Amino acid sequence: MKTWFHSWRAAIRIARRDAWRAKGRSALVLAMIALPILGVSAFDLTFRSAELSPAEKLDRTIGAADARFRDADMAGVPILQDPAGEMSAPARKEDDERWPSGPTDVTKTFPAGSTVLTDRVGSAKLTTSHGLLMTEVRELKASDPVARGIMPLLEGRYPEKNDEVMATSHFLETSGLSIGSTLSARNFERPYRIVGSYELPDSLKADQVNALPGAFLAPYGKAAEKAGLSAPDSSVSYLVRKPGGFTWNTVQEINTKGVLVASRAVLLSPPADADVPLYQKDGWGNYEAGPTDRAAELAAAATVVGLAMLEICLLAGPAFAVGARRSRRQLGLVGANGGARSHIRAIVLSGGLVIGIAAAVVGTVLAVVLTLALQPLLEQAMGQRFGSFDVRPLEILAIALLAVLTGLLAAIVPAVTASRQSVLSSLTGRRGVRRSNRVLPVIGLVALLLGGSVALFGSLVTEQVAVVAAGSALAELGVVAMTPALVGLFGRSGRWLPLSPRLALRDAVRNRGRTAPAVAAVLAAVAGTVAVSTYMASREAENRASYEPQLPYGAVAAFVREEGGRDVPAVREAVQRYLPVELRADVDRVSVGRPGCSPWGDAAGCGRFEVVVPPANECPLYAALPGGGDPTERFTPDQRRKMVTDDWRCKESSHGGIYVDGGLLVGDAKVLQVLGVDDPGAVKALADGKVVTFDRTQIDKNGTVGLKQITDTAAADKAMEEGRPVPGKVSSVPAYLVPGDEKSYGVRALITPAAAKAAGLSTVPLGMYAATDRLADSEQRQKLDGEIAKLGSNVELHVEEGFVNEYGIVLLSLAIFAGLVTIGAAGIATGLAQADAEADLKTLAAVGAPPRVRRTLSGFQCGVVAAMGVVLGSAAGLLPAVGLRLTEERDRLRYHEMSVAEGWTGTDTAPPDVPIVVPWETLAVLLVAVPLGAALLAALVTRSRGALARRAAT
Amino acid sequence: MSAQQPVLQLKNLTRVHGSGATEVHALRGIDLAVYPGELVAVMGPSGSGKSTLLTIAGGLDSPTSGEVIVEDTDITKVGIKELAALRRRSIGYVFQDYNLIPALTAAENVALPRELDGTPARKARVEALAALEEMSLGHLADRFPDEMSGGQQQRVAIARALVGDRRLVLADEPTGALDSETGESVLALLRTRCDAGAAGVLVTHEPRFAAWADRVVFLRDGAIVDQTVRSEADSLLSGRVAEA
Repeated sequence: MKTWFHSWRAAIRIARRDAWRAKGRSALVLAMIALPILGVSAFDLTFRSAELSPAEKLDRTIGAADARFRDADMAGVPILQDPAGEMSAPARKEDDERWPSGPTDVTKTFPAGSTVLTDRVGSAKLTTSHGLLMTEVRELKASDPVARGIMPLLEGRYPEKNDEVMATSHFLETSGLSIGSTLSARNFERPYRIVGSYELPDSLKADQVNALPGAFLAPYGKAAEKAGLSAPDSSVSYLVRKPGGFTWNTVQEINTKGVLVASRAVLLSPPADADVPLYQKDGWGNYEAGPTDRAAELAAAATVVGLAMLEICLLAGPAFAVGARRSRRQLGLVGANGGARSHIRAIVLSGGLVIGIAAAVVGTVLAVVLTLALQPLLEQAMGQRFGSFDVRPLEILAIALLAVLTGLLAAIVPAVTASRQSVLSSLTGRRGVRRSNRVLPVIGLVALLLGGSVALFGSLVTEQVAVVAAGSALAELGVVAMTPALVGLFGRSGRWLPLSPRLALRDAVRNRGRTAPAVAAVLAAVAGTVAVSTYMASREAENRASYEPQLPYGAVAAFVREEGGRDVPAVREAVQRYLPVELRADVDRVSVGRPGCSPWGDAAGCGRFEVVVPPANECPLYAALPGGGDPTERFTPDQRRKMVTDDWRCKESSHGGIYVDGGLLVGDAKVLQVLGVDDPGAVKALADGKVVTFDRTQIDKNGTVGLKQITDTAAADKAMEEGRPVPGKVSSVPAYLVPGDEKSYGVRALITPAAAKAAGLSTVPLGMYAATDRLADSEQRQKLDGEIAKLGSNVELHVEEGFVNEYGIVLLSLAIFAGLVTIGAAGIATGLAQADAEADLKTLAAVGAPPRVRRTLSGFQCGVVAAMGVVLGSAAGLLPAVGLRLTEERDRLRYHEMSVAEGWTGTDTAPPDVPIVVPWETLAVLLVAVPLGAALLAALVTRSRGALARRAAT
Repeated sequence: MSAQQPVLQLKNLTRVHGSGATEVHALRGIDLAVYPGELVAVMGPSGSGKSTLLTIAGGLDSPTSGEVIVEDTDITKVGIKELAALRRRSIGYVFQDYNLIPALTAAENVALPRELDGTPARKARVEALAALEEMSLGHLADRFPDEMSGGQQQRVAIARALVGDRRLVLADEPTGALDSETGESVLALLRTRCDAGAAGVLVTHEPRFAAWADRVVFLRDGAIVDQTVRSEADSLLSGRVAEA
């Protein structure tokens, strides 16, 4: 043991000094190993620092309070809650009983002697320097010691008077306001002065304004109601401080009054799951990160780390081999002085160890320094302040050990090779015949066959994508192991090549020991790239084929559903001004109740609207049963399939498109024109005051469409729940059915404003459709977005651009990555070949070869390695991608067949199309451009004068 | 002298390179014994088998037949591990040039065989410093090879060849890359080490340097064609030098 230790010390000393002497090579390898370590460590540091301890989290959510009380909105019935106070359920409820709903008085549950702060959050459209901004308004006395930590003050002071507010720094940035300016809200002209700025440590990007309790939201709500709008919703909770805090038992006691409690004491030492009654209820278990999820995540992470390490080893291995080859004489001397094979191995391995340790230190130190230095930027990017700078020594050590391990692994093969050299040939510089390992290719072949059959089994028999992936990975490793043998095959093609490429190819093939790792490195990178590229290109083709346009190409839709369409004219104007609008079709919507109601609001005085589907037109599969229950269960799969295929009532009429309230739009014939519906009958029907419908089920036996206004929404909800007809006033309007299967982009019925008025419907502006003469460009879009942002309105804007390829940039960057790896690996292999080829070059010069042969030879040596790796890698990468696609196809076909068998879809539905597309552009770049580039680069950086010139001179 | 046990004994040594048409007889039936305190010079024209003899004697190459006995061990019969251990403990090599490991200082180079043998670094260094001091090279201890002259490097190499218990130095043209004056000083050192009890084999084709030897062995086509004792060698060489 001791002996072993002392001889290793000598080996490490030699390796350390050698690494220092060959600074360039060492730096290259060090960078290769240190970079990923830097990335992973920095990620770990950031992740751990951003991960908050329960105490840190509590500081940000409840400040210095002992608990936050919140109404569970269950009408005060006893509830069960989780320890965090986030989820709740009624304590006693039968299955068919209605879920309790309604407020309760939280203030009655505060224990005697406690201090309470009200925390109310609402929203308002605030005036900014640019226009209006929808902003969260929070009423909390932030200066109170109980609230300390929730909204730390950055500048200025806390609001002290009712006309003072403070704002988050992000709000000040986006609004263009600053401390000292005043702000007000739309429909509410009272000015508020900004006296300070603060941040929410958990959401730095939040726009929020803080006012004193009662100073903003209540008067703002009143003003909104006065303007005919609904008062904005707000939610309230209470920060409670009580000596002794709130134990789990106390929390459960308060739960009996229908109030949720997030208690500091409970969160700091949570009760066991068995002591949480909520978790004992069906469907309310504690599902936090099950062990299987963790295992899958871990396996995925291990695979990625393993593959990255393999890639680095393949790249760094040849660099160590160059080092060993260059110091062959030195290793021979060690042998002559009694160094056994194990000592030689130890010296070369120490090279890996030294570089690995250096990379670990450099990577870790840089990670810590960079994370510390970039902390503000990282926090901004994550939108969250770090809790504390959290260095987990064990994790950092484990990551650093990966670097050491990578260095050692990369040096293993060169070490074994070097130790097998005879001392004599090392000393004399004679080049012995280096036999490549015969066992490795056999193992590789076995792995390839095994992995291939697993992948094949996966894609042909099972639908498990993981099986295909695992099989492919195994096969890929097999190909890597087979590389030496495959490289040998390339040698056969050399006979008819000119001198330099022939020499380069033969040299590469004869010295497989150094060629194979470089080729394998290229192979692995290219295979990964080709696999991902092929998969993505295929997905893209599929997405393109299944793309459903929301509107005709180039058309624009802009809808505003809030505040009774108050901003609609401005939005219409803005679209007309900034986009190349050719034809504008303004549309309105039917409104029930006050004009300020939102289409789905159930606020007081607001109602709903729907197009009646006569019972005779309802598809029996979906028609609600009076007693409840699933209507589809009344039919056999055969009947269902027949209905879905043959019954017009059951056909899906919707082809996607933009959501239209109740399916009915109010507009004129221009809407039809913009949507590309070319039907003179429809135009005439509109002029005649009819409803134009695209949906046959809407028309009753009299040829009319029923339009129902629902004023009592509570009664309507109850009726729907019980499967009864919904009460409401129905107006019947003569209808016209657009013949054929016209695409209507979400519009199911259209009526003119005049006809709507005649039918007793009141309307409010909704927005517009527009046809453009060319697609809006990015600049026009940006200008329009800016204009809309100034309005502060919630505008739903859609510009139909057709199918947009999202993967293009990914494919390109993947190709560039593979290209870089290829050039790097080929370059390293070329350096190695150069170290070996000095004698050949001298011989060549002696027989009269011109100096440029040196240059062309190294160019071809580089190109040969790149070409072999790229060819093998492309082949190896196509297979898993094809396998994956086949598996997906099977999976979807199976689902399709099941749907047909069960009668969910008709037999006339087309089976899913899962195309396989080869990304020829990426392949061409990899197969042609990359080897060519590598060759040129190597030729360029090689000096044509070397030993040759010296010899010529003497 | 002959009453002592030889440090190195070669018995009926033959070495054949290649086979069939490419067969070359590098050594044919060599018998040679080298005793403690003796420096034997091996001379002969190029290709006569001088270097092959030395590499086989040191266990870097193995003979086709015959025995190589180093301090009672027949090194043709031991495994590569024991052979390496033998090189650490019994046999020292000095080559024509680049003898020292560039990454190590003079003292570390000398200490290397001991350290590889498992001696703690500090102890090995003390031994190495003692060896260097003994040869008046103590001032070079902390220099790297590229900070020393060729002669200094060769003398450090001799110190390394004899560090610890090693008693056999095999020197393959140790002065080949040096000017004659420096060469003389290197051989003078080798001579003193042998006088102090080591056994040395010196391959050279410079008669002037062979003159330092106790005995000169002439090789031609792999066989010993002539042997002299020291006194004879002196006269013989002086005569030859005069002829030349």
